[in-house]
Amino acid sequence: MSTAQHIENFLQLLTAGLLTGAVYGLMCVGLSVIFGVMRVINFAQGEFMMLGMYFAYYCFGAIAGYVVFGGFVAPFIAALAVGPAVFLVGLLVHKGLVSQVTGIGGSTLEAEGHYAQLILTLGISLILANGGLIVFGSAPVSISTPLSSTPWVVGPLYGDEILLFVNQGQTISALIAVAAVVAFAALMANSRLGRALRAAADNPVAAVYMGIDVDRAYRIAFGFGVGITAVGGGLLASTSPFQPYVGIDYVIVMYAGVVLGGLGSLRGAFLGGLTIGLVQQLSALFLPNQLQNTAIFVCFLLIVLLRPQGLFGRAARRA
Amino acid sequence: MLEIGELRVAYDGRPVLGEVSLTVGSGEFVAVVGPNGAGKTTLFNAISGIVPAAGGTIRFDGSDLLAVPPSERPHLGIAHVPEGRQVFPSLTVLENLQMGAYAASGRSAREQDLERIHALFPVLAERRGQLAGTLSGGEQQMLAIGRGLASSPRLLMLDEPSMGLAPAVADDIFERIVEIHCTTRLSVLLVEQRVAEALNFANRGYVLETGRVILEGDRDTLRDDDRIRAAYLGM
Ligand SMILES: Nc1ncnc2c1ncn2[C@@H]1O[C@H](COP(=O)(O)OP(=O)(O)OP(=O)(O)O)[C@@H](O)[C@H]1O
Ligand SMILES: [Mg+2]
Repeated sequence: MSTAQHIENFLQLLTAGLLTGAVYGLMCVGLSVIFGVMRVINFAQGEFMMLGMYFAYYCFGAIAGYVVFGGFVAPFIAALAVGPAVFLVGLLVHKGLVSQVTGIGGSTLEAEGHYAQLILTLGISLILANGGLIVFGSAPVSISTPLSSTPWVVGPLYGDEILLFVNQGQTISALIAVAAVVAFAALMANSRLGRALRAAADNPVAAVYMGIDVDRAYRIAFGFGVGITAVGGGLLASTSPFQPYVGIDYVIVMYAGVVLGGLGSLRGAFLGGLTIGLVQQLSALFLPNQLQNTAIFVCFLLIVLLRPQGLFGRAARRA
Repeated sequence: MLEIGELRVAYDGRPVLGEVSLTVGSGEFVAVVGPNGAGKTTLFNAISGIVPAAGGTIRFDGSDLLAVPPSERPHLGIAHVPEGRQVFPSLTVLENLQMGAYAASGRSAREQDLERIHALFPVLAERRGQLAGTLSGGEQQMLAIGRGLASSPRLLMLDEPSMGLAPAVADDIFERIVEIHCTTRLSVLLVEQRVAEALNFANRGYVLETGRVILEGDRDTLRDDDRIRAAYLGM
């Protein structure tokens, strides 16, 4: 290959990495909210994402015919509609199941509480994945939209030799993901609800002294967390085919991103997800395609070994 | 305003408070003193609902407080400034004060309250954007008290506000508490190891030992009591 081809190849993967990374970043923010506020590691996060994908899929099918430019706009409307829907599912799952093993009562026996949470969220993950198999079937599906196969062509750059193809669907998805992260960060930073969630995360007992219903705060955080990740799933649903077991593929992406970004920081989680997207795509420069997820995992292990507080983590955040 | 009758609390079946009765009248300043492990913090946590009562009654303004969920109690006008400050470390000073005003009773006059608290503790205004976890111990205590006041409570419960502070800083904080009490006629329930100071400022006091009230009375009765003089006042 010529130098120009190398550069083109690199730029192409860089673009793809940034675009998928932005959506991964959104998904990581969802996982990070749950950990940050509730100190719970939700192993079912990937399955809530899968729910988001199917919800977007059916929602798209239902509305595409009615929306103007349906093929173009409906996938994104469907992806955004996933948010409130899965938020509600999250509230119910928290109320019925998760709240039994978390919250102020659960923290009196710390170690015991953690085992219970681990087993419970693993159980939820299995039930959702297998339930998905029964309800949705095992055949992979995807949302097909004209945008996901249409690129914008950038260039020719660098004389005549470099042409960059930027997938339109992915670009809009990435922009929506970034906008959602910014909106959620603003909510957490500036609203009364956001402050209450952060206070409950910092010191749940003191939060009760302030008059915060901590169980309810945790429930809302859980709903936000799974809802946000599910919107990420909804955005990916028009990019690649999926089936009910898709969660496990992405749960690794999410964990790697959240650990990379430093546990508990929203900004870190987003940047972590973005980095994972880049690592995944750029690894194609020197690794065969099948090994892309291995690259993520190696990256994850390296971070855990070398910089456990995460690349973007602020080590002394908590006093 | 606050009436506690024969309150009992146990941790894992081990009794910690046995039949404690105590009242705080409207506008009154009441002190609770006693040695370490007497159950003073437990008493406060039972009022806040953080630990369940095993028996007895707690009434606030005549209604049954034990029937109110813990997170609803601050909304009735009860502010608890806990032992060891417990500010929200990753929130800023201002955000901590805003959390104080989370309770319904503090929502009406928020701006005004903030000004009042800033006038009381100017350092909280200077450092409004700083993360509370990076404040000094004394500053955190001022923030904890300010946060308690931000809900414009009718009853302020203070658990050892002088703990871990240099005597001069503690004196300063005591003066502020008295100032608040005198200007607003807020009811105050104070737990304190610095017995001499506490009894100076309080209208009445209770001595708690191993979960029981062994002595109660107004300021002068307690200050003249031989047991108190020997055990707490070093006389
Ligand atoms: N969560 C708990 N579990 C078991 N025992 C507890 C718990 N909290 C307090 N205790 C016990 O209850 C007793 C009373 O504790 P408490 O904290 O109420 O004392 P205190 O009067 O506030 O003491 P100090 O002046 O040291 O703050 C102590 O013996 C303590 O060990
Ligand atoms: Mg105590």
